[in-house]
Amino acid sequence: MTAASTIELSYGMPSAPDARPDERALVIAAQRGNSEAFATLVRNHQRRAYAVCRAIVLTHEDAEDAVQEGFLHAFKALDRFLPDQPFGAWLFRIMANASLDLVRRRKVRDADELPETVPMPFRDPGESDELRRRLNQALTKLTERQRSVIVLHDVEGFTHGEIGAMLGIPEGTARSDLHHARAALRRILKDVRSDL
Amino acid sequence: MSDIRLQSNDDDDVVRGLRSLYAAPSGDAYWNELEARIMARVADVELGWWTELDRWVRPALGAAAILLVAAGIAMFRARQAEADIAADSMLSSPAVPVSTAIRPALQDDREARIRFLFGR
Repeated sequence: MTAASTIELSYGMPSAPDARPDERALVIAAQRGNSEAFATLVRNHQRRAYAVCRAIVLTHEDAEDAVQEGFLHAFKALDRFLPDQPFGAWLFRIMANASLDLVRRRKVRDADELPETVPMPFRDPGESDELRRRLNQALTKLTERQRSVIVLHDVEGFTHGEIGAMLGIPEGTARSDLHHARAALRRILKDVRSDL
Repeated sequence: MSDIRLQSNDDDDVVRGLRSLYAAPSGDAYWNELEARIMARVADVELGWWTELDRWVRPALGAAAILLVAAGIAMFRARQAEADIAADSMLSSPAVPVSTAIRPALQDDREARIRFLFGR
């Protein structure tokens, strides 16, 4: 049994990633070139990393790409990470940056292609529920940042401070983005109710 | 009151709707595959370093060998030139003989000291 798998077994039940006492040991092992330790870090954080990316990019496929890019960046920058810092917060900042880069690249590409119709941002084949359809539409009307903030806060449960750190904006801005996003979505849902 | 309730229901609907739209793929198979893809890319990066290094090792060694030979030749030629100059200077006669150039000065100096000591 390798050192990394021993560490993994000692975790016990899953909890918040940064609360794991052996996270630091895993990070140090990964910094020393133990790829199994890095694989364990990937395993422990990939779902949350996906959620962060998914909140920022438009599609599931882009979120997958961003997660892979993010982990690659993290691997390359691992020797610069201080093991006493919370690994999750550091990793999610990288994930957010990878996602924002991807969004920027997509924007440039889309501007070059000049599509005739505005694509629906969320892959949801066979969706017939009116509420979800309207919600989908409403989300396209929010700014990218507002959409990211509301998803990170209301769906993923990140705090305003964490969201601010991830997206590189002040905590107050994250708070006000959330307020505006909620108000906009609420308005649209109210219209749906009155239509039904 | 009804407004508050309506707002609360709307928020619940929004959150519920968002959760269903943003639901992460379920099932361990998906996550195992994603992990494998990430680690494959990481391995490429690791391998990339070594292959890159390996790609540069031979040209670097070749260049170092050429530099070493060139430096050796340059040093040999410099020594050869120094030896030639030294031999030439030894064989060619000086314009003024050393003895005639120095002796009068030394003699004058010595005589001056002797005169100074005994001539008082």
